[in-house]
Amino acid sequence: GSFAQQVSLTEKRVGLEQVFREIKRQTDYDIFYNLDMLQQTQPISISVRNAPVRQVLDICFRNQPLSYYIEGKTIIIRQKPAATTLTGAASRQTSVSGRVTDQAGSALPGISIRVKGSTNGSVTDAEGRFRITAATGSVLVFTSIGYQSKEVTFSGQPELNVQLEEDRQALNDVVVVGYGTQRKASVVGAVDQVRAAQIEDRPVGNVMQALQGTAPSLVIQQRSMNPNDNTMNINLRGISTFGNNSPLLVIDGIINEDVGAMNNLNPNDIESVSILKDAGSAAIYGSRSANGVILITTKKGKKGMKPTVRLSALAGSQNPEILVKPLKGYQNALLRNDSYVNSGANPIYSSEQIRQFATGDSEYFLKGILKNGFQQNHNISVQGGSDNSTYLVSLGYYDQRSNFKGPDFGLRRYNLRTNLTTDIGKLKLSAIMWYDRNDGKSFQGDNGFLIANSSRLPVYNNYVLKGENGRYYNNDVLTNGNPLMDLEQGGFIQQNNDHFQGSLNAEIEIFKGLKARGIASLDLRPENRLIRRFYHPLYNLSGDETPVNIQNSAQYSIEDYNGKSTLLNLQALLDYNRSFGKHNVYGLAAFSNESYRQRRFELRQQLVDPVLGIPTTGTIFDKTSYNTVGGTTERSIYSWFGRAGYNLADRYLFEANFRYDGSSKFARSNRWGFFPSVSLGWRLSEETFFRFWKDKLGDLKIRGSYGQLGNQAVDDYQTFTTYDIYQDQYGFNNVSLPGTGYTFGNPDLKWETNTTFNIGADATFLSGKLTASFDYFRKNTKDILLTPQTPLVLGGAVPRANLGAMVNNGWELTLNYQLRHSDFVHNFGVNLADSWNKVTRFEGDEQISKSDEIERIIRVGLPLYSYFGYKRAGLFRNADEIKESALPIGVSPSPGDVKYVDRNGDGIIDDNDRFVLGHAFPRLTFGFNYDIQWKGFDLNMLWQGVGKRDMALRGETIEPFHGGYSFVMFEHQLDYWTPGNPDAYWPRLTSPGTASTSNNYGKGSDFNIFDASYIRLKNIQVGYTLPTAMSSKAGMRKVRLFVSGQNLLTISKNTFIDPESTEFGSSMNAGGANSARNYPLLKYIGAGLDIEF
Amino acid sequence: CVKMDVVPTNKFTDETYWTSEDKANSVLNMAYRQMFSSDYIFANEILSDNVYNGYGSTNEKLIATGVADASNGRFQADWKACYEGIKTCHTFLANVDRVTAMSAEKREQRKAEIRFIRASLYLQLATWYGDVPHFTEDITLEQSKTITRKPQAEVLAWVHQELEAVSSILPSKEQYAAADNGRITSGATIALNARAYLWENNWQKVIENCEKLMGNTFGSYDLFGNYEQLFWAQNEYNSEIILSSQYVLPLRVWGNLVDYAPISAGARLCLAGPTQGLVDSYLMKDGRRWTAADAPYANRDPRLNATIVYDGSQWKDRSGVEYTIITHPDGTTAPGKPSDKYTGAGTAQTPTGYYYRKYADPAPGTYVSGGWNSSLNLPIIRFADVLLMYAEAKNELNQMNSGVWDQTIKKLRQRAGFDNVPAAMNLPTGSQAELREVIRNERRVELALEGLRVYDIRRWRTAETVLTQGFRGAKFDKSSGTYDYIKLPGGNFSRSRDYLWAIPRSERIQNPNLTQNPGY
Repeated sequence: GSFAQQVSLTEKRVGLEQVFREIKRQTDYDIFYNLDMLQQTQPISISVRNAPVRQVLDICFRNQPLSYYIEGKTIIIRQKPAATTLTGAASRQTSVSGRVTDQAGSALPGISIRVKGSTNGSVTDAEGRFRITAATGSVLVFTSIGYQSKEVTFSGQPELNVQLEEDRQALNDVVVVGYGTQRKASVVGAVDQVRAAQIEDRPVGNVMQALQGTAPSLVIQQRSMNPNDNTMNINLRGISTFGNNSPLLVIDGIINEDVGAMNNLNPNDIESVSILKDAGSAAIYGSRSANGVILITTKKGKKGMKPTVRLSALAGSQNPEILVKPLKGYQNALLRNDSYVNSGANPIYSSEQIRQFATGDSEYFLKGILKNGFQQNHNISVQGGSDNSTYLVSLGYYDQRSNFKGPDFGLRRYNLRTNLTTDIGKLKLSAIMWYDRNDGKSFQGDNGFLIANSSRLPVYNNYVLKGENGRYYNNDVLTNGNPLMDLEQGGFIQQNNDHFQGSLNAEIEIFKGLKARGIASLDLRPENRLIRRFYHPLYNLSGDETPVNIQNSAQYSIEDYNGKSTLLNLQALLDYNRSFGKHNVYGLAAFSNESYRQRRFELRQQLVDPVLGIPTTGTIFDKTSYNTVGGTTERSIYSWFGRAGYNLADRYLFEANFRYDGSSKFARSNRWGFFPSVSLGWRLSEETFFRFWKDKLGDLKIRGSYGQLGNQAVDDYQTFTTYDIYQDQYGFNNVSLPGTGYTFGNPDLKWETNTTFNIGADATFLSGKLTASFDYFRKNTKDILLTPQTPLVLGGAVPRANLGAMVNNGWELTLNYQLRHSDFVHNFGVNLADSWNKVTRFEGDEQISKSDEIERIIRVGLPLYSYFGYKRAGLFRNADEIKESALPIGVSPSPGDVKYVDRNGDGIIDDNDRFVLGHAFPRLTFGFNYDIQWKGFDLNMLWQGVGKRDMALRGETIEPFHGGYSFVMFEHQLDYWTPGNPDAYWPRLTSPGTASTSNNYGKGSDFNIFDASYIRLKNIQVGYTLPTAMSSKAGMRKVRLFVSGQNLLTISKNTFIDPESTEFGSSMNAGGANSARNYPLLKYIGAGLDIEF
Repeated sequence: CVKMDVVPTNKFTDETYWTSEDKANSVLNMAYRQMFSSDYIFANEILSDNVYNGYGSTNEKLIATGVADASNGRFQADWKACYEGIKTCHTFLANVDRVTAMSAEKREQRKAEIRFIRASLYLQLATWYGDVPHFTEDITLEQSKTITRKPQAEVLAWVHQELEAVSSILPSKEQYAAADNGRITSGATIALNARAYLWENNWQKVIENCEKLMGNTFGSYDLFGNYEQLFWAQNEYNSEIILSSQYVLPLRVWGNLVDYAPISAGARLCLAGPTQGLVDSYLMKDGRRWTAADAPYANRDPRLNATIVYDGSQWKDRSGVEYTIITHPDGTTAPGKPSDKYTGAGTAQTPTGYYYRKYADPAPGTYVSGGWNSSLNLPIIRFADVLLMYAEAKNELNQMNSGVWDQTIKKLRQRAGFDNVPAAMNLPTGSQAELREVIRNERRVELALEGLRVYDIRRWRTAETVLTQGFRGAKFDKSSGTYDYIKLPGGNFSRSRDYLWAIPRSERIQNPNLTQNPGY
């Protein structure tokens, strides 16, 4: 914020603490003192108007046992260096000097040092150095705001170095909120904060990965560990709509188009992440805030800070882990024969072949296409400031190699950031420049098929991926491809995406308490993608010289995509903040426009020159290519928004927010939406009748909020009925012609509205050592934008409309605890959350969608997209049981086949016998972090998990010899029914395509449902910081070495599948069913180095 | 700043669309596309006893084996595709009059084309599902949730009436310009109407309509001289084609053969192989039925070799080189070629010992660069079918005689290349029932693999027999010690249920007025 250096204050008999708070509020001075010292002081009366700070301080310290001095923008309160040092047993006093640092070894200026039981005191300088005189055996007390105070018994040594711990729960911490900051003590919204320390030095690919497990209700699911396709789901407080459930992302005050943009950031540049969960904190973001807001603030320099250079380097290996274990070749062949014989068909393999398989296995193809991936991450930053300017410059490089074999697949990211601020008299200017580039090179085909084509093969010794002669071979499972050839020779997708964001911020005080601010920002994304696909000869192992795929020998193709998007954001804000005695009033009124423009074009050509990719004879230009006219999108949002707040004596807190948004996505009559919220807070611990709490436990606040939020996440141009012309739909006389399709628009579209109620409490216990926050919320969403489920008779083409409603409830709990004994410092952090949703209105009442055999249902009264299907009643034991049981139509099962529950008892298994089988959204999500420090050593770990989730799986991982496409069976499938194993889990082996197989595996039942709860050691790090004495000899302030691991341990019920695997996206949108064809689970092991000088 | 009123730049809006003849035609083209899909021509064979689906398990296989329930994907997909096509037709009919830059005559003709397409879609619906919702202009969302099924007979009566009505509006194939090759002609309306009557066993009407075509009153049609080359792109628009689905290089193409052709010819896999039963239905070239005493494939009706690849077949690859295809497990694959051998029923190779040849035009120019994406037009109705319908109807009315025979079956056998001997060419002696089997067998071999067999076994009510008795493949199975026919499981086709498809389950959830067919 922008502050004048003058103070206005009228108070009668007020404590100094109150005055200091006013000074801090009205100026940008920081004041360092400790509360014990202030207890020696007398209340003062004061009446000044626009008085310089020094004048106010002089009034304060008149006739007090304290004095002050000012260093830069820091006011340091200290004991009056009166004649005390001359009194008493002066002879036993010795002078001691030393340095005070934080846990990271950085100097701490402005720390006050006091000899316990005396008035003798001192303060550290800018480099953390101090000098004080004390008697041997006396106790030195080191205190400062933001750090936990520390007592050291002085043993008479000449030098004393002290390390202070950050006080993480300090109530005076500043919390970033929408369009401003607030003291933690006066925050009335449901806001979580993630700090830099939780993100730095972790071997993560991006910010989203880093945030997993750090905050309650921030549910992040990493669906794929592929560095080139890091598909992740991010949800804040569960599922509240059928449509878009993405939280809004704001980086340094600028709203981003897509929550994924956080992954453009260098995780090391982040100072803090605020997570706004309730209507009270989020309504200021209006029509896009329904799913919560994630505010990221990047690091800046500090005034008066000496240039500090930080270097960090991490390197390690990402090692793929294959979770399924194929049977030995001969065993696989025997069981495959059984499956045919059991179905009354002939066996597939002769005993001769089986003998041949028994001579040894080949390498599992899935293993054959994978390798360990090298990962490195280097950062350098320079931070500092003068009296009126600050600066931060940082450079980052991140490189993760793919675990797929192939030509240099992987991802590289380059980051550059400069954050500058300067004061020119009353005008404060700040500029942020941020550039990043993502260079990715990846497999050109479908990753799911790639995995399928390498995992569906048994380890028969006549299946060869690549011969010693360099030839690639096909076989009867792969038909005409080879996954290793596709990777190594098939081509690539190369992406080079630049991103620039710049913002300028000017602030000026108009009159006392009122500031005007203007922000202009530009986000620019030029993106380029080049795809090449190559023919490569594939041979038959029999030794034929003609490649089996010779007919594709002209299949070389090239695709070019270029896009540029710009997002221009202009904001004008008026900020008011003023105290009148015990009354603090603040407010905000603002206007903003965001204009988004995207221009893209894409050119696709097939049958091009093999080397250059240029057109040649017979080249086909794909007519789905488009030019910039076809690839243009424009949208705009105009907004008015504001805030009014009042607090009385820091005890009763009130705040109201609103935003009035107009969006180009909607037709004129429905364009503007109003989103208000109110919040109330009560700090019980400030009440005299609750004094015991403050004295014994610490702080206690209860708070509540209520408000309306919006969701306008609907595609552009949905209000228009449009006709799309598609090329090459039909033809006459061998001339190709276009065809037209249409999309009906709905001019009545409007926002979704979400009404959120939140109640929460923040409390500390054990004199502040244990802090706890609890929130309960209820979100009601109405007018949900959805494409109504309509009868197919209508012929499709139904416009989206505001037709759904949902309710979503949940709670969050956060606990932090600090424990110290002898030289150990432990920090424990736990976060735990749950949410549950229910559809309350759906046009057509229910919808069942089916992907392969997995069914999902939307039904009023159920969570969105619940799994639906049959329930197993065990396996048939004998013919009598079959005779007495209800059966599906057309199935004549045998013992060992699956029996289903006849829900309605009508003697036949049909659609009416289906049940709700489970829910795929993670519930009871939790994170647990623990760190411990002992002298120079530190250990920290992050555990993360899901307490309750169902996952539906299908495909070869579930069904042996799946559908005839797979020839393999895995070890986890071995508990199958035989007459000798009648209590088996899996049914008997049958051949693909038979009625028994479709009964056993094709029906979509609780056979497909698995428990996906898990707990995972997400990150573990062990570090050692060199003693300062040693590092300073090398001219460094701090040197730390560490080793770290990621995903080293996962505890879950089903070990053949990554429990994070899911077919659902953030909005419960699913492309298909989950066939468990995942990129392998990666375990990281590496080491790193931090240097500061 | 971007203004609040934005309009799409890559799409027409309702205001700007109906302004030119080309744009109107573009909607019509979409309707043509929605009329038939190459996928169904191939998948429909799996619904019959002509082929066996060994690789994976398609929706059609579930239907053919009687285990499909109301949520079967094909039941839903066909229903959806037909009503989507119908919507395109209604959108066209409701808006085409807004196009002023188009002659009234042209408008009427285009409307007649689209009415034909709509009638053919309703014919599909009524044939598969029986009673179906029927409407002739766009319905509202509310209507779609309450509409009831109209009796099959009424829908079919409307289909006949529509086809008759447009037959007098549409030009004959000779009246069209060459540039309009492939458009719906008056002859096509008569032929489709004949087919619709055939599926109802309305023999008199079949005869009436076939006679119109045989008398050349709606364009002149005749058999094309070479059966095999009838399915080659160089002979598109020949005298036999009454209606075909249009394909154009390089992007409007179909690629189904990649899952049916011999592996050595560059196929990806064999989804389904012709059955021994189909192979056995081909007569000897001299008109006798094949017996076990005969060599398996020698001296057979030449249409066998033109339709099916068997062990020892000659195959010409795209470079013009001929080689022998070996499907027998003990045979020797031609040098330099991937194996086509039978390796078991659940593998990527043929499940029966046979592959497809029909439609596999050897000309490289028919395909996109060496693959199986083909530009060959797929016949929907050809004149041979008209002759077969006529022969069958005449026999059913006990009017078969050597005159009718010579006009129909004899012509087909002559064209096929049978020996010119009485046993092959002349009307056989026998009862009506015996002749019925002869005609039905002729129909099966002439139209094999064209997606039509399924309609025949259903209207003849023979599906309950032919689909349940188990399938056979070639004599390649050695599990008993000596080579025997490959035995493949039959299904449980239910007489009381499976002759009609289920109304898709999702439809009935939303529209309680839709009744279900018996047994589902």
